[in-house]
Amino acid sequence: MNTFLVSGRCIAAPPPTDWREQLAVMLGEKPRRIGDWAELGLYGALRCMADAGETTLPHDTVVILASEHGPHAATIAALEQMHDDLPMPLTFLQTQPSQLLALLAARMQWQGNASFLAGTELQSMLFLAATQAGSGGLLLGWVDEMDGGLTHWLRLRPCEAKGIDFKPAFAVEIFSPQVSYLNIAPKSLHIARSNQHCIGGRGMER
Amino acid sequence: MTAVHIAGRGLACALGLDVATSLAKLRDGGATAESRLLPGGLGGDFPYYAIPYDLPDWNERARDLVLRVADEAGARPGGRGALFIATSSFDIGAVEPAAARTYAGDYRAFADTVAGWLAWSGPVYSISTACTSSLNALIAAQAVLNSGTVDEALVLGIELENCLTLGGFAALQLLSRTGSKPFGVHRDGLVLGEAVAALRLSTSTSAPWKILGGANVVDGRQSTGASAAAIERMYGQALATTGLAAGEIDLVKVQAAGSPGNDLIEADGLRAAFDRLPPLVSLKGALGHTMGASGAAEVALLTACLEHGAWPRYADAVDETLGVNLATEAPNSVRRLMATVLGFGGSHTTVVLEHA
Repeated sequence: MNTFLVSGRCIAAPPPTDWREQLAVMLGEKPRRIGDWAELGLYGALRCMADAGETTLPHDTVVILASEHGPHAATIAALEQMHDDLPMPLTFLQTQPSQLLALLAARMQWQGNASFLAGTELQSMLFLAATQAGSGGLLLGWVDEMDGGLTHWLRLRPCEAKGIDFKPAFAVEIFSPQVSYLNIAPKSLHIARSNQHCIGGRGMER
Repeated sequence: MTAVHIAGRGLACALGLDVATSLAKLRDGGATAESRLLPGGLGGDFPYYAIPYDLPDWNERARDLVLRVADEAGARPGGRGALFIATSSFDIGAVEPAAARTYAGDYRAFADTVAGWLAWSGPVYSISTACTSSLNALIAAQAVLNSGTVDEALVLGIELENCLTLGGFAALQLLSRTGSKPFGVHRDGLVLGEAVAALRLSTSTSAPWKILGGANVVDGRQSTGASAAAIERMYGQALATTGLAAGEIDLVKVQAAGSPGNDLIEADGLRAAFDRLPPLVSLKGALGHTMGASGAAEVALLTACLEHGAWPRYADAVDETLGVNLATEAPNSVRRLMATVLGFGGSHTTVVLEHA
């Protein structure tokens, strides 16, 4: 599968100043003891899902989360705790980026294929995601807590490429709010704007 | 779907610095765990399976071990296929706690460094799903190979000693102080170990073992433990993906890391997934739990064991209340096997291999 409709997105770099409050509203309570990086990721993922009009994912959706530095602050905190004692258990858990996948799955009451890609080039990540996508499509996230924070998420649904006017693009252009369709090849990316017909995809008339 | 063969394998682990040495050591009774002293009230001495290769500099040691296993697997310098790096701890072992603030935690820099050691020129993916990292790398590599864009991939599982992983597991009170006892009646926790393993995959080179497929099921209800329902689903999905029936599986390499709770859950999941259980084997008593490298390391060792007639011994009797057993010798004929790892982040992963 290599053609996808962008059915939902959260593009936040940096996130809004009240993102923690927004997350608490979406969760129904303040998140506790999961760490800043995971909170930031959860905020973006839930905003993206809400944008897509979904509360959970089809079982064969593939979730891929990426980051350049992961839970960096938690890792340093856990290392510092190791200076003369064991790390705090929750701090150690926060150092594992895959914990965010578990939190997300639990929140959506979903079981499925989810992975964390560390520092992988954007184009390579998109291609790997496309090779693994099933009929439920993809939920892709990029989360980093440094330099003010970043949480980008895209919900991609597979669709037919027929009739869509694709243009070559750099991988980073997928984060443009105008992009509605992606066509992913091994070493190249093509994008298209909205107002195009897409079979099997969710409409973009929001 | 194009056949993806395991065209080469390399392994450095507590048993030895290559597959042949590891097999010989296994036949000889296995490796002896070393001891690691951890600080604090929950600290103390813990057994640990270290690679018998000493170098003071973490990066130099990692480079040497990566180059050794890649060479053993037949990966050529300057590889143009896809490189999959699988780890849960990256280069954290290069940083001492006193210098924690200097830790850059730059995942891409680590991947670039490893690729640089290998003079790799193809695409590089770095997968970190805790203990299931290298099995998920195998599944991802199979997908990329099946796309036809490359005809070779190298999956590198890298998990080297570091105080954070040992300390974190000790803090969570998951470690044994006595030894690794998979499904054992006296099991009291995990014994960690280190490993660097390489699996060279190819669609253009025929080899005895091929990867039929696999499944990864994340279940968030227990972020540090397994779920029997997810295990059942994982096996079901892997069978469905490969078009096999449960009765066509001749052997399952289980996780069975010796955890009192998780071993019980895993046994429940196995019994739910298989009406009639195939023979089971665990390699945790031979290697320790090598975290993100365990999938690649255990596939390398297990396929070699089956080809050369070696088999792990267990330090403890199997707990009969679990309703499962471990094969004490290699089954007569293994055509298809499943290799399973369960990990933090609610990750449950298995791959299906077939012997020609």
